[in-house]
Amino acid sequence: MKGTVFSIEEFSVYDGPGIRTTVFLKGCPLRCSWCHNPEGQSGTAQIVRSPNGCLHCGACREAAVREDGVLRFTEASIRACPRGLLRVCGEEYEAEELCKRLVKNRELLAGGGVTFSGGEPLWQSEFLLECLSLLKGSLHTAVQTTGFCSAQTFERVLSKTDYVLYDLKLIDDRLHRKYTGVSNRLILENFQALVKSRVAFSVRTPLIPGVTDTEENLSAIARLLRDAGVGHIELLPYNKMAGGKYKMLLREYTPLFDEAQEPNARLSLFDSYSVKAEIL
Amino acid sequence: MTDKIRLMLIQLKEKSYRALRTTTLDDPILYPVEYFGFHFGVTEKFLHSDGNIIPNYARVITRGLDATRREIAVSVAAEKSEEKRAFGEQMIAEIDDLLRICDSHREKIAASGNKRLYEALLRVPHDGAESFFEACLFLQICIYGLRRTGVEHLCLGRFDQYMYPFFDADLSRGVSEEELFETLEAFFVTLNYDTDLYHGIQQGDNGQSLVLGGFDADGNDRFNALSQMCMEASLELSLIDPKINLRVGKNTPDARYEFATRLTKKGLGFPQYCNDDVVIPGLIKLGYEPQDAYNYGVAACWEYIIPNCSAEVSNIKTMNFPLVVNRAVHRHLLHCPDFDGLMDCVEREIDDECASLVEQAQKKCFRVQPLLSVFVDGCIERLTNLWHGGSKYNNFGFHGLGIANAADALTAIKALVYDEKSLSPEVLLSALDANFEGYEDLRVRLKNCPKMGNGDDYADDVASRMMSYYSKHMNGRDNRNGGICRAGTGSAMFYVEKAKSCPATADGRLAGEPFSCSFSPSIGVRTDGILSVIRSFTKYDMSEIINGGPLTLEIHDTVLRNEVGIQKTAQLVKLFVLRGGHQLQLNSLDPERLRDAQRHPECYPNLIVRVWGWSGYFNELDLDYQNHIISRTAYGA
Repeated sequence: MKGTVFSIEEFSVYDGPGIRTTVFLKGCPLRCSWCHNPEGQSGTAQIVRSPNGCLHCGACREAAVREDGVLRFTEASIRACPRGLLRVCGEEYEAEELCKRLVKNRELLAGGGVTFSGGEPLWQSEFLLECLSLLKGSLHTAVQTTGFCSAQTFERVLSKTDYVLYDLKLIDDRLHRKYTGVSNRLILENFQALVKSRVAFSVRTPLIPGVTDTEENLSAIARLLRDAGVGHIELLPYNKMAGGKYKMLLREYTPLFDEAQEPNARLSLFDSYSVKAEIL
Repeated sequence: MTDKIRLMLIQLKEKSYRALRTTTLDDPILYPVEYFGFHFGVTEKFLHSDGNIIPNYARVITRGLDATRREIAVSVAAEKSEEKRAFGEQMIAEIDDLLRICDSHREKIAASGNKRLYEALLRVPHDGAESFFEACLFLQICIYGLRRTGVEHLCLGRFDQYMYPFFDADLSRGVSEEELFETLEAFFVTLNYDTDLYHGIQQGDNGQSLVLGGFDADGNDRFNALSQMCMEASLELSLIDPKINLRVGKNTPDARYEFATRLTKKGLGFPQYCNDDVVIPGLIKLGYEPQDAYNYGVAACWEYIIPNCSAEVSNIKTMNFPLVVNRAVHRHLLHCPDFDGLMDCVEREIDDECASLVEQAQKKCFRVQPLLSVFVDGCIERLTNLWHGGSKYNNFGFHGLGIANAADALTAIKALVYDEKSLSPEVLLSALDANFEGYEDLRVRLKNCPKMGNGDDYADDVASRMMSYYSKHMNGRDNRNGGICRAGTGSAMFYVEKAKSCPATADGRLAGEPFSCSFSPSIGVRTDGILSVIRSFTKYDMSEIINGGPLTLEIHDTVLRNEVGIQKTAQLVKLFVLRGGHQLQLNSLDPERLRDAQRHPECYPNLIVRVWGWSGYFNELDLDYQNHIISRTAYGA
């Protein structure tokens, strides 16, 4: 079957064990306030504009249309740009075709393999499952997920992938809804399923200043990990370039927190729960 | 780092030492913080003459100049030829000249109160060095003397091998590692003085490359404690000189790659990796004796040369692939019914170009360089100038410029003209002649054809065929200089310079746009990524085209931000080597930072980048070279 991919990055070093290729699948049910891949949110192909080299001539905007109050680039915008800065983001791949391309680099994926990320790769779960099946036996696979999906879907993915990179953002459900747009109930339930499974995994938390890096939230995460017998967490400091890509989509970046603040990793807090925290 | 070294670095970075320079060549300068006391007493560039070789420093440093002088005198006494005797006497005269300078400088040093330096100068350079300090001092004197006679691009060769006996002797007699490290660092710092006086196309291109490690004929790893110390000193000092080359092979331990990656992380653009498993068999195939091939070193940029006994011009002329392919296309495309027919024409054009380049190269006139000849094995016995038969090897090396652009151009023709049949040869030729004016759509189509660098056989096979024609028709040609010709994959500065006069090419490149640097994907080509690039650039048997010329890859500096990134990058280099890549230059950079440096040069006085085969200060480069670096793809952002 077909899936929509918005980027394939070779030699990704922070997406699981060894040297990896990361496939970014389009579509995400979450709307995290700090999202640095906004082009991964919509599940369908979109037209984007690279900011480097823009003459600000306005030709692309003139060819854009307003739908539901939102301005969108059109095919005509691509043709209108004198510098060729617009392109379609999101390419359809047959699972087989995609896997064939990934396997080509097998010899160079030393101790590593392929990571499916997004967006939220489980948003295209059937496509993901087919890719995982096709790669079984030839490449090590990992799925980087928020865990926001039904228990059944999650179980099926667990049965096919070799590794999971699991995001835990906020433990307080009210805050989770506020900053990501969805409840964390499924996420926390699926986390327990992950812990019970025999699949290798690592846990990641983005450090968002004043949001996820609070003492309260990080203690709750540390407690959850300790109780589940998980001894390790990877912390990802907020990417100050996160807002950079919004302009590509004619969107404004409006984070609900103070970007200028330095995130606090609170490493000693994790120590006190016997969880080894590592900053990526 | 000791306080003394720290002071030397401050003096270097503030360039305050330059104020002490005088205008005479014969008066070495003694800087306030001094170790070796031999720097260049001029404020203008030297006259230049041929170089780019690795002199046999070890022999001279071990024996001393007095013994070397006597050896020449013996040769002269036994020689019947008037001409050769005269040459021997010139050698002696130049040695005497250098000794005279050293003797008078010694007295100045006595007056300065630098007792250690004074005492060392009572022995060297008259007699052989006995300690690591004396060996470094002697080496500095040799470099001073040779540069004074105008030699360009003096390469340091296998420093860790020929200096090791002195280093080891010091360790056995109880000299501390700290003291040896300080001496080594001081030596490295002094190599950075006076970089503005060197000849080079751009500042920084001064030839001070140094080779570490390497496997011998029995498979022993020759990387030693001094090699490691050199890497550590380079890491701590973060200076452009010496430029480190690391010889590696299938048995190089992971830890070495990891340490080297830490150097890459510094952003100095080195080490450059050279793969023994490909280079040594390649050199043997070219006719080098195995013991010499195993002892290979690197010239100023990437050219593989033999230390001590060779006087090779390793970059004498350039095979301009895009220009030659363009010529073939214009002359033959209309008459070729199929792609193989066109490739046969390309082969003939490459063959003709090889003949023409060799003919031009044969006309090269060499200077007589008596002092440099003293340092090249065979010249004293034969009393002959190194370039005129004094040395064992006198081969010529040729660059291979724009391989990716030329391969992309031919691949686009294969795809559109022959396979799809959607483009007529006439239209393509008109578009090329018009520099794509009025053919913008066609240019986009050409740009969208398969490209070298995606691990795609469709394009890579075309590149391999082109390289095999070059290897076949260049390697082994008689250079009428007592040697042969060697094909390579380097570009030197011509990826900018020669590209300026190259008309539009069928890969969609406009007239004048730069080519790829050395052996790398064309500029602006969207490749699938660094793994695919490595697959493309390790397909051809690189031992067939071994004059040198690295695959150059830029890694975004965020990849190397922690241990995990360092380890994985080290693994990637190892895989490149195991796959048969011959040479790799890996740079860590952030294009955004470079753009900012163009806008605010005053904020980046010490920003170092790798240019084509050497590292230089970003601010000191011409705009064309700055822009080219910025437009290279930084992987892993």
